[in-house]
Amino acid sequence: MRLEMGHIYIKDIQFAAESKIEDGILYVSEEAVKAVALEDEKIKSVSFDIAKPGESVRITPVKDVIEPRVKVEGRGGIFPGVIAKVDTVGEGKTYALKGMAVVTAGKIVGFQEGIIDMTGPGADYTPFSKTLNLVMVCEPVDGIKPHDYEKAVRFAGFRVAVYLGELARELTPDETKVYETCTIKEGMEKYPDLPRVAYVQMLQSQGLLHDTYVYGVDAKKIVPTILSPTEVMDGAIVSGNCVSACDKNPTYVHLNNPVVHDMFEQHGKTINFVCQIITNENVYLADKQRSSDWTAKLCKMLDLDGVIVSQEGFGNPDTDLIMNCKKIEAEGVKTVIITDEYAGRDGKSQSLADSDPAADAVVTGGNANQVIILPKLDKVIGTLDYVTKIAGASEETLREDGSLEVELQVLTGATNETGFNKLSAR
Amino acid sequence: MVKEVERAGIPVVHICTVTPISMTVGANRIVPAIAIPHPLGNPALDKDEEKEIRRKIVEKALDALTTEVDGQTIFD
Repeated sequence: MRLEMGHIYIKDIQFAAESKIEDGILYVSEEAVKAVALEDEKIKSVSFDIAKPGESVRITPVKDVIEPRVKVEGRGGIFPGVIAKVDTVGEGKTYALKGMAVVTAGKIVGFQEGIIDMTGPGADYTPFSKTLNLVMVCEPVDGIKPHDYEKAVRFAGFRVAVYLGELARELTPDETKVYETCTIKEGMEKYPDLPRVAYVQMLQSQGLLHDTYVYGVDAKKIVPTILSPTEVMDGAIVSGNCVSACDKNPTYVHLNNPVVHDMFEQHGKTINFVCQIITNENVYLADKQRSSDWTAKLCKMLDLDGVIVSQEGFGNPDTDLIMNCKKIEAEGVKTVIITDEYAGRDGKSQSLADSDPAADAVVTGGNANQVIILPKLDKVIGTLDYVTKIAGASEETLREDGSLEVELQVLTGATNETGFNKLSAR
Repeated sequence: MVKEVERAGIPVVHICTVTPISMTVGANRIVPAIAIPHPLGNPALDKDEEKEIRRKIVEKALDALTTEVDGQTIFD
């Protein structure tokens, strides 16, 4: 599959009477985006705000972060099976608005939402302090159930992102990159001497608002399968997660998965990037066994030499990670696993819930329990009402001077397990 | 906790969903549970059915407790 990605750099976002992109400035009609968000009757009201890097702004509780994109050539549309009709994506031409994001926030969906600080020490730890953020705060109708609210906010974010992406349809990209993978046979003929490497991506699928969707299918209902790595660039995988903010993959990360991009960088040079294998992290042991069996089976059938495995979340998915690692290694396929750590505030506890000698090549996204003080900022988009309740906070979080004592866990993307952030350890 | 209690000379049955973790931490008698969010029940069942599976798990655990084991054992 061959996908041409056109990058349109956004230098500023401003509210205006008419939505358009001109000279790298995204003008947003507040009225128009509100109408797009309110298409769902489960959302009572929505307010939009703009947060720019360096501003004294705290966004919380953050649900998802999304990059606007538009499909200009080829099959399907952005977010197939979710916003666009089901069709196989990942070929043709797609434009992305770079340097900006749509951030969905709201009262609270689960108790595991995040914080994005646009300045100060918190900004150093969240990758989304560097993007121009169009933040939408959604209020649900009264009496709504949490899972309906989650779905309404999730879809509203995608609709707004697609609306903004459409503004770029007729533009000329500032930069174009081409991503191309071979079929199995082509790859063997073209790169006979290069190691055959795939990316095994574990998707958060524990249920109870810890969910990911693949072409609109709830990932806990999939069995492991293979994708062309360009499919995710068109939104084949989206987040429906209300799980610890630091190491869940917002939709933005799925669209811009660094493992996919780095492997493409090496494709044809040091490796033959064969495909992306997706699997899940379910809460039944039989599911964990079946999924890790199948992942290892696919690695074997594809005659791989090595894989990179990325985890999402922590706790019992540590077992899925280790089961994948052990079983894939047992097939004679080398593994490198990417995870993060919950090693306690002093860093002295066991980092993962499970381990095995086969996991001898590990990359970490950092210790999520590390404590950080976030100073009081001038403006809050959303509400601080739940700031003592989110995972990584406590009753003592809010201090007298208005600063917050929290674990890195609260910061969206802080210990991301695809390498989307800069934190790691040696 | 499983290991410390056994160290004190009292046999322990670990009822847990993710038996591989129980194996890693070194439990000797392991009884599989239902699922991580609901280890000892299943909200999808009606109350009578649920009571039955709960009783089965407890009985299996009691049997395991009185069974001699030679190394780590999962009582499926």
